[in-house]
Formats: sequence, structure tokens, C-alpha cells
Amino acid sequence: MDFDFSDDQESLRDAVRKWVDKGYDFERRRKAVKAGGFDRAAYRELADLGLTGLYVSEDHGGMGMGPVEAMVAMEELGRGVVLEPLPQTLIAGGLLSGYAPADLQSAWLPKIAGGEAIVVLAYVERKARYKLDVCETTAAQSGSEWKLSGAKSVVPVGDKADAFIVPATVKGKIALFLVERSAAGVTTRGYGTQAGGRAAEVTFKDSPARLVTEDGLAALEHGVDIGIAATCAEGVGVMDKTMDATIEYMNTRKQFGVTLATFQALRHRLADMKMQQELARSMSYYASLKLNAPAAERRRAMARAKYQLGVAMRFVGQNSVQLHGGIGVTDEYIGSHYFKKLTELELSFGDTLHHLGEVSERMQDTAGVFA
Amino acid sequence: MDLAFTPEEQKFREDVRGWVRENLPKEISDKVHNALRLTRDDMQSWARILGKKGWLGYGWPKQFGGPGWNAIQKHLFEEETALAGAPRIIPFGPVMVAPVIMAFGNQEQQQRFLPGIASGEVWWSQGYSEPGSGSDLASVKTRAERKGDKYIVNGQKTWTTLAQHGDWIFCLVRTSTEGKPQTGISFLLIDMKSPGVSVRPIIMLDGEHEVNEVFFDNVEVPAENLIGEENKGWTYAKHLLSHERTNIADVNRAKRELERLKRIAKSEGVYEDQRFRDEIAKLEVDVVALEMMVLRVLSAEKSGKNSLDVAGLLKIKGSEIQQRYSELMMLAAGPYAIPFLPEAMDAGWQGDFVGAAYLAPLASTYFNLRKTTIYGGSNEVQRNIVAQTVLG
Repeated sequence: MDFDFSDDQESLRDAVRKWVDKGYDFERRRKAVKAGGFDRAAYRELADLGLTGLYVSEDHGGMGMGPVEAMVAMEELGRGVVLEPLPQTLIAGGLLSGYAPADLQSAWLPKIAGGEAIVVLAYVERKARYKLDVCETTAAQSGSEWKLSGAKSVVPVGDKADAFIVPATVKGKIALFLVERSAAGVTTRGYGTQAGGRAAEVTFKDSPARLVTEDGLAALEHGVDIGIAATCAEGVGVMDKTMDATIEYMNTRKQFGVTLATFQALRHRLADMKMQQELARSMSYYASLKLNAPAAERRRAMARAKYQLGVAMRFVGQNSVQLHGGIGVTDEYIGSHYFKKLTELELSFGDTLHHLGEVSERMQDTAGVFA
Repeated sequence: MDLAFTPEEQKFREDVRGWVRENLPKEISDKVHNALRLTRDDMQSWARILGKKGWLGYGWPKQFGGPGWNAIQKHLFEEETALAGAPRIIPFGPVMVAPVIMAFGNQEQQQRFLPGIASGEVWWSQGYSEPGSGSDLASVKTRAERKGDKYIVNGQKTWTTLAQHGDWIFCLVRTSTEGKPQTGISFLLIDMKSPGVSVRPIIMLDGEHEVNEVFFDNVEVPAENLIGEENKGWTYAKHLLSHERTNIADVNRAKRELERLKRIAKSEGVYEDQRFRDEIAKLEVDVVALEMMVLRVLSAEKSGKNSLDVAGLLKIKGSEIQQRYSELMMLAAGPYAIPFLPEAMDAGWQGDFVGAAYLAPLASTYFNLRKTTIYGGSNEVQRNIVAQTVLG
């Protein structure tokens, strides 16, 4: 049992942090938000750092790294409230590497690793919300070709991505497909998200698709779990910055002739935020360290982690705004952007109530980190 | 980064588990698993069993006759004993006063006091709180006046846990009123059989005699019972508090009690009630998160690479969890938690239960655990400490 980071992991952290601090400041982010919430140039810089190939094997031009490295990278991107959706790239790398046939892997993984292709998971449906086993999108085989029809919602950078990983029902069972955005019958309607990023409604009409795996539900669950672990780490990064900003504000802002840090009511609120921050960090570690566990154990762990993170992100976000007072509810102050990011992360890959239900459903007689 | 314990740590755990299985008397673990009343004999016989093995002072270094375990081994020992249903080690001797005697006592004091603590023969009590000194411990007033080779002690301690069984008591006493309150405090060991020491029970809201008032009326204490230097007692007491690291969270007991909560909820038919079950689920996440936080501290201690100052958070969360599981157990019992049958908490009671035997202690435990957010520095004091650390 050991929670220290290796030297390599520390250098990865330093490299990403340096890029965030020097290459991705608030102004650049603001411009990207105004321009639609996605900056392809910034995404390529993530690729230059090697991050897009984090879960891609070295054979396919990636880094062949594991969940702890992904966590380190995501914490740092969280600190920069980076818009470009690395969790999606982690999912695509993980899913294609783990489940796709060899030719599909060699066609896509090098491009994903190099940042030339963006592949995102398109799984949310109007009737499914966060449920993974509800899927009205269908696929059917005609000759040697698969055709896929249906509609997916809130697909990250859906109108900019190069391809989608799409769950679709085949004879009552969910399979996973890869569909290119340029394929026939694909239409997208893009929009900004609450935290300044970009997403789209994506519809497929008899669109040509490649089968990733017939065991689609297991793969989809795995993909979402990669997303959950990444989101938890990202949330920790955003919360760390939120706390830093709040602490600095409390130590400098004066009212009634004294700093805000003087007031016990506010100090206790900050102590409660610190509690949530550390519980969240603990559970983010837990999520990443359980990501390669057997499916049942992994699913239970992700539900526990995302529930805790959801509680923490909402608490830290809301209370940070409150402790800032008026400046906290302005667009010009970065704090409100942290808050909106935390809110969006809570709603991604299953919100807090959803995961409470998952934890509830999956409870065993015993419980603990190792059970 | 690795969540798994090393093979050596696993082996250690299995060895402890095997030994506990062989040596923990079943009539004692049955009481613990069912929250029945433990007698002095129960507590002391388990202490003696541990003492014989050399594990009562499980946190002690080898040089003082302890096993010399590292932070992880100590944690595994605590976990295995808690899950097996062992009574908590009464901490005042082996966990609290012994480290102070080791760090600040002279060799004579070490030779005189440590063997009795290690074997479990001598029962120690803690004389800290006073009627006017709760969370504000530095305001203690109990006086110790030096007269020749003796101190004459006058005053009163309170909330003294299990002092009715105590042979010795370690006290914070005032030896000076000069300067800041903290600077005039001394750390004194007092034989409770000394003339002038009297113990009066305080019956708590659960009807139990767990704590006491201890009065000192011109008690003569040999000066050789002073630990370290006069007026430095506050430093020693703080050392003691810093020694209390992760076990303040009591996460292992929480895991055991969460299992019991699920058993009770199933028997009472509320486990399938989604509203109730979700409350258990929330508690389960809290327990796992607390355990992760404890493991992070242990890992930091083991490697020495980073320090993790979260003792206040562990105390707050750990105590809240204890209160919550006892609350949910009581709520699971519903109307059957209303009957209050203190005699039913004695093992082997032959009277008629209301509903079921396991329901009898639930309200009592709920009442009893209200103390956890008050003692050891109330949770509000802990929040002050956390905020101080965060704000600098």
C-alpha cells in the first residue's frame, strides 16, 4: 500500500502543470469559450505532451500508461479548467485498445495518440439519462456492412470530433460501434455547455458503422468508468484551485475593518470545504486505483467515488461562491468558472443521486476499501 | 501508487488474524458484536491476553518491550482485532500515558510504570478535563503545590472514563499561575489509592456508569511522580495528542458496525426500503472515504515523503460516522427502539425482550455516542484547527 507518486509520474505532472500555467491561461480559455468552446490548437498541444496517447500502447504510437498517470494528467488539466475533452480521448484509447478488432485498432489508435483524430463516446439518450442499459439506437447488418440509426445527446465536441464510439442495440443486445462523423446519414447540432465547453446532438440515419465489440454493455460500462475516474481527478484539480482562490480571498478581503478569515462562521465553512476536498481526493485515488479491478468491483468503486466527488464538488463550488460574496457571482472572476466546471462535472457520467442509487444497489454485507 | 498491501503486510495480517481467532474469548466477542455490556473483567482479561503476547502496547517501540511495528502494521492489528469483535484497548495506559513516559519520563519512571501497563495489570485513568476546563483544556485549575519532596494536590477532575476501575491516574495540574495558562501546567502521576482521592460516578444519558468525577483533597504525591520538568506538562500533553494519529478515526470499528447496521436493517425489513437503504449507502461511502484518508496518512508515515496534516478531519469524520451508524441502527428498529431495558444489555439475561434481543442496546448506543463529537477536542474546536491550518 503506497500513495506516493513515482518520479516519472511527478515529471508528467510537472510537464502538464507547466503547459497549463504558461500555455493555457484564463485569457486563452476565455477566447476559446467565445469561439465555441473548443480549440483544436490546444488539443494538439495536449497531443504534443503525449496525453492523447496516454492509454494507447507504444506499438500504436502512444505512451502505454495506466490510470495513475491519467489521474495525474487530469488533476492538472482540472487546475486549468481546460475545455478540450481529454477524458473522451482516454475512453476512446482504452475502449479501442481493449475491445476493438486489430484492423480497427491500427486504423484509429495511432491517429488518436497523435492528436489527428478525436474520437468521443456518444452514449447519452433522451430516455436513458445516465442508464447504460437503455439504448434505443439500433444497428443492423446488411451484407458485410453495419448500418446504425438513432440519436445521441450531449456528445462532447460532437460536431468537431472525427468519429464516435456508439452503443446500439442489435437483436435486443447492446453492441459498440465506431461511426465516422463524415459518414452518410450523420448530422450534428453543436452548442456550448454550461462550463464553456462544447457538445452536440448527434443523429445517425442508416450510417455505416464498424463493429467494435458485440459485448457492448460490458465495454460501455468500462468506458464510462474510465470517464468517471478521469472526471474525479479533474474535479480534484478544479477543487484545489477553488480552495486556493477562496483561501486567498478570505485572507485579503476586508469587511468591518478585518479580513474575512477573522470570522468563525466563515472559517468553519472553509473547514467543511477542506473536509470535502480531502474526501474527494481520497476517493479519486480510490477510483483510479480500482480502474483495472474485475468489473463488479470496479463498478462498485466508481459509483462510490463519483457519489463522493459529486457531493464534494457541489459543496466546494457552492460555498466558494458564497465565501467570495458578490465577486463570486461575476463572469469576470475565475471562481465562477471553477464553480460552473464543478457543476458540469457532477452532471457528467452519472450525477450524485444516480450514483447513490448504484452504491445502494451494489451494497454487500461487508464494506471497505478492499471489499 | 498501489492500493494493495505488500505480501509481507498480508502475511502479517493473516498472522494477527490467526492469533486473534485462537485467543479472543468467544463470550467477549459475542458481547462486542451485539453491543452488550462489557464488564471490567471482560476488558481486563482481554488486556491481559494481549499483554502476555506483548501486544497490549502494540504501538510501542522494541526498546520498551513493544513489537516495534510500523504504522501499517499497527493499522492492520487494529483492523483485525476490531473486525474480530475484540473490545477496544482501554487507551489510557498503553496508548496515552506510556508514550509520554517513554518520551519524557526518566529511566526510573520507565522501569517502574511501563511493565504494569504492558501486561495489563495496572489500570490507568486520564485526569484532564475539569468542570471549568472542557475544550479549553489549558485553563485547568487543579493545584499541585510543592512541599519538600511532595506535591499537595487539590482540585477536581471530571469526565474521567472508567476511573471507578482505575489504579493510577495521569493528571494535568497547575503548578504555576505565572504567564500564559499553558506554561504553568505539569504532568503528574497519582496513585488513586492515595488518601484524599475520591471517585464519584456520573451516570450518563444512557443510564451507564462510564465516567466519573475525581476529587483530590490534600493528596500527597511524591515529587518523583512528576514527568519531565515542572510547568512543561502542556508540551507533553500535546505530544500525546500528536501521538493519536489515525486511530482517532476509528474506521475499523466503523466497518464492523456498518456490517451490523446492514444485518439489523435486513432483520427489520428496512434494507429493501429504498429511502432507508440509500442512507446506509451514503454511510458506506463515508466509511470507504474515511478509510482511504486513513490509508493515505499511513502511507505518508511509512514513506516519510509527504506529511499529511488531516488529524482534525479524521476526528470530525470518524465521530460523525459513529453517530450516524448508531442513529441508523436505532431508526431501523423504529418503534422497537422505544422500550428501554438496560438489564437486557447484560449477556445471558433471561427476561423477555421486546421485539428481538438485538434491539435492546440500540437506543443506548445512540445516546452513548453523542459524546464522540464532544470529547477529544469538540468538532467545533477541530474545525478551528483545520481552518487555522488551511488559512495559515
